[in-house]
Amino acid sequence: MIEKLLFQTLIGLSFSMYLWLLAAGLTLVFGVLGVLNFAHGSLFMLGAYATFTFYGKLGLNFWLSIFLSLLCVGGIGVILECLFFRRIYHIDLPYQLILTFGFILIFDDLVKMVWGGVAMIPPMPRFFEGNFNILGRPFPYYNIFIICAGIGVALLLWMILEKTWWGRMIRASASDREMASAIGINIPILFTNVFVFAAMLAALGGALGTPVRVVAPGIGTAMIIQAFVITVIGGLGNLKGAFVGAIIVGILTSYGILLFPIFELFIIFVVMAIVLMVKPQGLFGK
Amino acid sequence: MVKKITRRKFLKDTIVGGIALGTSLGGYRITYGQAKKPPGPIKIGGQGAISGAHADYGWQMMAGATLAIEEINAKGGILKRKLELKFMDEELKPATAVKNVRYLVTDWGADFLFGIDSSGSAMAVGPVLPELDRLCFFCHAATHRLTEELVAGKGIKQIFRMVAPVYQDALAAWVFKDAPEIKRWAGINCDYEYGYVAWNLFKENIRKFRPDVEFVAAAWAPFWTMDFSSHIAAVMAEKPDAIFATPWAGEGVMLLRQALMLGVFDKIQIWWQCMGGSVDLLEGISREVAADKFKGKLWATARYIHNYPATPENKTFVEAFRKRWGKFPNYSAEASYSTIYAIKIGVERAKSLETSKVAEALEGIELKTPAGPRLIRKEDHQAIYTVPGGKVVHSPDYPIPILGDLKIVPAKEYFRHPPFTPVAATK
Repeated sequence: MIEKLLFQTLIGLSFSMYLWLLAAGLTLVFGVLGVLNFAHGSLFMLGAYATFTFYGKLGLNFWLSIFLSLLCVGGIGVILECLFFRRIYHIDLPYQLILTFGFILIFDDLVKMVWGGVAMIPPMPRFFEGNFNILGRPFPYYNIFIICAGIGVALLLWMILEKTWWGRMIRASASDREMASAIGINIPILFTNVFVFAAMLAALGGALGTPVRVVAPGIGTAMIIQAFVITVIGGLGNLKGAFVGAIIVGILTSYGILLFPIFELFIIFVVMAIVLMVKPQGLFGK
Repeated sequence: MVKKITRRKFLKDTIVGGIALGTSLGGYRITYGQAKKPPGPIKIGGQGAISGAHADYGWQMMAGATLAIEEINAKGGILKRKLELKFMDEELKPATAVKNVRYLVTDWGADFLFGIDSSGSAMAVGPVLPELDRLCFFCHAATHRLTEELVAGKGIKQIFRMVAPVYQDALAAWVFKDAPEIKRWAGINCDYEYGYVAWNLFKENIRKFRPDVEFVAAAWAPFWTMDFSSHIAAVMAEKPDAIFATPWAGEGVMLLRQALMLGVFDKIQIWWQCMGGSVDLLEGISREVAADKFKGKLWATARYIHNYPATPENKTFVEAFRKRWGKFPNYSAEASYSTIYAIKIGVERAKSLETSKVAEALEGIELKTPAGPRLIRKEDHQAIYTVPGGKVVHSPDYPIPILGDLKIVPAKEYFRHPPFTPVAATK
C-alpha cells in the first residue's frame, strides 16, 4: 500500500505543476491588478494552440516553439490589458467577471474558427519518450520534467519578486497603488507588464501540456475551476499559497482517485470548505 | 338618344366596376397561384454541438443531413416537395436544446426534428415532443433511458433513435468472452451516467458468460478531464489483465496517449476503448497506431464505422461524404444521413407529414442504410443494427487507422430487449 501511495504521490505532483502554472498567473493578476480573470484559462489554451502550430504544424524546435508561443500570448496579453482590462480595475467584481467570461466565449469560438473544432494532437518530442522504473512501475520522463519545470518556475518567481527591483515595484503597487504611484512607479506600464507576465505563465502551462494532452477549444475552461480552488485554498493573490494549494489539490485528487473513487470529485471542495471556515482568507492570505 | 352620364353616376360606376374588376382579377390571381404554386419545402430542424470542444460531432451531424438532403432534392424531394434544413447549436445544454426545438417548431415551422448530442439534452427534449407534435430522430445521445423509459415506458411515440445506444459499449463482453486468459478487468470511465451504465452493462453481461472474471478497480473521470495519469496509475496498481474505458473524443485521445507514457501496454493484454472507432479519436492516435505503440492490444467499437459493412450503400455513402466534405463520416454523420432517408420513407409510406401517421409508417420497418439494415423496433423506436468491434490497426488503404480483425456479433444479441429491467446508473 505504501508503494501505491508513493507512486500516486509522484503522479499527483506532476499534475500539481500544471495547476500551479495556471494558478500562479491567476493569483498574480488578482494580487497586483485586483482583477479575477476568468479568461486566464483561455490564455492557457492559446499557449497550447500556439505551441501546437509552431511545433506540430510548422515543425519548429520544441523549445523555440514554446518561446514563440509565450511571445504570442504575451502580445495578446498586451492588447487585452491596454484595451480592455485597464478600464475595469476600478469597477465592481461582477462587471469584471462578465467581461472576462465574455472573453472565454470569444476565444473558444475564435480558436474553433482558426483551427477547427476537432481536438488536435502534437507529437511528443523524441527526447521525452520513455520512462524510468520507479517502485517497480514505469514513470514517464516527461512527468519528471514537468515536476522540475514547475519547481523551477516557482523558484524563478520567488527570485524575481523578492530579489529584483521589478519585483519590489510589483509588491509595492500590490500593497498600496496610490503610494507606489506617488513615489514614481509608472502604474499603467507596471500593470501591463504584470498582466503580460501572468499571460505568459498561463501560456507556458498550456504549452507544456501539448505533448501529452490534446489541443481543443475549452481546455482552459476545464482547468480554471481547479485553479480557482487552489487560489482560494492558498489565499487569493498569494503566490506561495498558490504553490502549496496546487500541491494539495494535485496530490489529494490523485489519492482520491486511488482510495475513494466513488466520491473523489468532492474531496478538494471539502478541503476548500474547511479552509474557508477555519481561515477564510486562505492558508497564506493576509 | 344618348344617355346622359352624371358625375355622380360616373364615379359610382367607376368605383363599382373597379372593385368588380379588381376582385375578379385578384380572384384569378389567387386561383392561378393555388393551381400553379409549388408546395412549400418540408422543413427539417436539427441541432447538435457545433461550438466548443465537441463541435465536430454536431458538425458531422449537419454534414450527414446536408448530404442526404442534397441527394434527395436533386431527385425531386419527397412527394415532390424539396427539403429545407436549419441546424442549431445545442451547446450540450438541456435548456438550450429545449429552447431550440420550441423555436424550430413554433417559429421556423419545422416538420421534423433530429440531432442532439447530449443524453441530458435528449432526456429534456423527449417529454416536450408530444406537446409540439413533432417526431424527433436522435442521432447521437446514447442513454438507454431515452428509448426504454420515455418510449417503451411512458409511450412518447414522437421519439425515434437512429443511433446505437449505450448497449454498443458493452459489446466487449461478447468479443472477449472466449479469452480465458483475461480475468482481471479494470475500468476507467466517465464520471456521469454514460460511464456508469456502460461499465455496469459490461459487467452484467460478461458475468453471464464468464463467472470467473474479476473487476479489480474502477476510476472515474469527470467531463473534460485533462490528466488521466492518476486514474491510470490507480487502476494499474491492481495489475489488471484488461481495461475497459469510456472517455470519448479528445478525452479518449488524451487517455490513450497518457496510458502509453505510463507503459500500460507493456503490462496489460487488452484495452477496450468503447468509442475508439470514432473518426476523431482514430485521427488523434494515428501516429501511435502507425508506430504500433499499442502493440495490437487496443480494441474498440463505435456507433458506426466507415469500413463496415462492405455494401454498395455504405461504399457510396462514404465516397459521397468524402467527396462533399473531404473527411471520413463519423457515426453521428451516418445516423443523420440515415435519418433524412428514414423521414423520406416514412412520409412516402404515410403519404402525409402528420406526426402520428409517419410514426406509424416507420414502426417495425427495416431500412437499408449505410450502416446496414436498420430495424426500427416498434416497442421503443430504437433502430437496431449491427456494429462490429475490432482491433485498431494501421491500413495502407486509409489515411487514418481503422478497426480491423472485426468481430461481428448480431445486434439482436447484444442490444437490450423489452420488457426492460432497470440498469444501475450509479458508480
